[in-house]
Amino acid sequence: MSANRWLATGNYFTSYREEQRIFFTSLDRTAMGLLLAVLFAWPFFLELDNKYMLVIDNILVAVIAVMGLNLVTGFAGLISIGHAAFVGIGAYTVASFSRMLGENHLLLSHGWPVMIILAGCMGAVFGALVGLPALRLKHLYLAIATLSFQMIFQWTINFMNFFNQGQTISVTRVTWVTGQVSRSQHYMFWYYALLVVIVLCGFGVRNLLRTRYGRCLVAVRDNDRAADAMGMHPGFTKVYAFALAGFLAGVAGALHAYLYRGVGVESFTLHHSISYLAMAIVGGLGTLHGSFWGPLAIKLLDLQVEQLSEWVGAHVTAATNLATALRPLSFGLVIVLFLMFEPRGIANWWRIARSYVKLWPFRY
Amino acid sequence: MTQLIVSEATLTFGGLNALTKVDVTIEPGIITSIIGPNGAGKTSLLNCISGFYHPTSGRIRYGQRNLTHASPHQISTIGIARAFQNLELFRGLSVLDNLLLARHQNLDYSIFHAVIYCGKAARIEAENRAYVEKVIDFMELEPYRKKMVGNLSYGVQKRVEVARALTLAPNLLLLDEPMAGMNIEEKEDIVRFILDLKKEWGITVVLVEHDLGVVMDISDRIYVLDFGEVIGSGTPQEVAANPKVIEAYIGEE
Repeated sequence: MSANRWLATGNYFTSYREEQRIFFTSLDRTAMGLLLAVLFAWPFFLELDNKYMLVIDNILVAVIAVMGLNLVTGFAGLISIGHAAFVGIGAYTVASFSRMLGENHLLLSHGWPVMIILAGCMGAVFGALVGLPALRLKHLYLAIATLSFQMIFQWTINFMNFFNQGQTISVTRVTWVTGQVSRSQHYMFWYYALLVVIVLCGFGVRNLLRTRYGRCLVAVRDNDRAADAMGMHPGFTKVYAFALAGFLAGVAGALHAYLYRGVGVESFTLHHSISYLAMAIVGGLGTLHGSFWGPLAIKLLDLQVEQLSEWVGAHVTAATNLATALRPLSFGLVIVLFLMFEPRGIANWWRIARSYVKLWPFRY
Repeated sequence: MTQLIVSEATLTFGGLNALTKVDVTIEPGIITSIIGPNGAGKTSLLNCISGFYHPTSGRIRYGQRNLTHASPHQISTIGIARAFQNLELFRGLSVLDNLLLARHQNLDYSIFHAVIYCGKAARIEAENRAYVEKVIDFMELEPYRKKMVGNLSYGVQKRVEVARALTLAPNLLLLDEPMAGMNIEEKEDIVRFILDLKKEWGITVVLVEHDLGVVMDISDRIYVLDFGEVIGSGTPQEVAANPKVIEAYIGEE
C-alpha cells in the first residue's frame, strides 16, 4: 500500500525516522512553509503604521518569552511568577554593556546577535540560580520563591546607580549589512530579526521536545518519583527547566531592549510577569503552539480595549475614569473565563478545529 | 551474574520498625518472591533496594557495589529496575513516550545535538525506539503504543508499568505486586511474561505478591516477612511447611 504523502488516512510508517518527523504529511509541511512565506512577505505588499508595527513586534517578543515560560510552567509544571524578571535580566545585560562600554560601542551596534545570545546565557545562569530552590520546594512554595526573585530584581534595579535607578538606559541603533538601521526602518528591521529568532527558537524547542531533554521535563511534571527511578535526577531536571526558560526570556529581553532602544525597570514588573503567565494559560499550557496563540490573543485584545476606552473617553466625558479601568478589567476577565471554560487554552480550539477538518464530512 | 545481598537491614520511622535486621540474598537468574501479610515491610524492603529509602543500619550490596546510600537514579543505571505497586506512570504521555523515558540514560547525545536533532540525536533516538519496540512486542502492548497512559484500563496500565521497568534493560527486576487487582486472565498473562523474562531474557526477578497460588507456582525461592522480620525462607515446599509461616498466615491452631 502506498501512503498518500499529502493526506493522512492512517499511520503508514515504515521506519522509526518517519515516526520522528515534525510534519507527518507534505500538506503539513507545505502549510508551514506558506505561513512562513506570508509572514516574511506581507510587509512588501502592505504598509503599516509604526504604531501597529510596534504592536506586532511586541507580540513577537512576548512569543519568545512565553515559549520559555511554557517550558518551565507548561511542560515541567513549575509555576514561575518571576518570568518578567528573567526577561529583565536579558534586557539589563544589554543595558549594562551599554553603560560599561559606552553607548555606541561596536559590540552593541555591530555585534548585536552576539549580545542577544549573551543575554540569553545570562538569563539561563539566573534561571538556574532561581531554580535551585526547586531542589527542595514544590508547587506553590516554589512559585513564591520565584515571586521573591521578581521582588529582588526590581529592588536591585531601583536602588543601584549603575542601573540608573530604574530610569531608562538608552541602547544604540544597530548596524546591518546595509548600514545603520534608520528611524523609519527600525520597526520593520526588528520585525524580521524577531521572526528569524522565533523560527530558530521554535524549531529548536520543537526538536528539544522530541528528545530526552524535552521528555524529562514532562516526566518530572507528571511523576517525579518515577522519573527518579527511571534514571533522571528530578532536582537537576527542574533547575535545567528554569535555565532553559531563563535563556529564552533573556533572548526576549535583549530583543526588547533593542526594539525600544532603551531599558527601564517599568517593563519588567510583577504585572508583566503575571501577564506572561496569563498569555501562557490563554494560549494553552504544555503545548508549543500555545505560546504563539497566547501573546497574539492578549496583545490584540489589549489593543482593541485601548481603542475602545479612548473612544468612550472622547465621546462620554463623564465615563473617562471608567474607560481607563476597562483594560485591567478585560484582562482579568479573560483569564478567569479561560480558567473556567477552557483551561487548555486556545491550543485546544486549534486541536478541535484540526480534527474536525481532518475528519470532515464525518463527525468522528 | 551479580548477587544482591541485603544484610542486617534495619529501617525505622521514629519509633516504628519497618524492617528489623533483614537478611535477604537474591541469587541471579531465578525468581525470588517476598511475601507476608499487609504491613509486613515488603514494599519498604523494595524501597530500600531501589534507593527511595536508606536503611537506618545494615548494608545492601549488589556485586561489588555498595547500594546502602545510593539514590534511585543511580541505582537505575546499574541494572536494577523497579515497577511500582500503585501506578506511578507519566499519565500525560503516550505509552511510547513512557517507555522512551526509561531509555533516558542510554540516549547519550548533548543538548546541542538535541536542538539541531538531525544527525546524532535522530540516529540514537531511532536506535532506542527500536529497543522500545522490542519491549512493546514482548509485553503485547502494540494496540496501545500511541494512546495516552491516563486513558488506559487498569490492567493495561499495570502492564505498561512492568514494560517501563523492562525498558531500562535491567539485570534485576523488582516487581511490586504486579498482579494486584487483576482478573484471572490478566494474571495469567503477567505470569507468562515473568516466566519468559527469566527464561528468554535471563533477568533476575524479585516478586512481591499477595496471590499465594501464583507465588508458590512460579518462585524458585521465597522469603516470608512479618512485622519487619524474616520469619522463613527457602523453596516453596519448605516455606509451606514452616510452622512460623503458617502461624503468620492462618493463625495459631
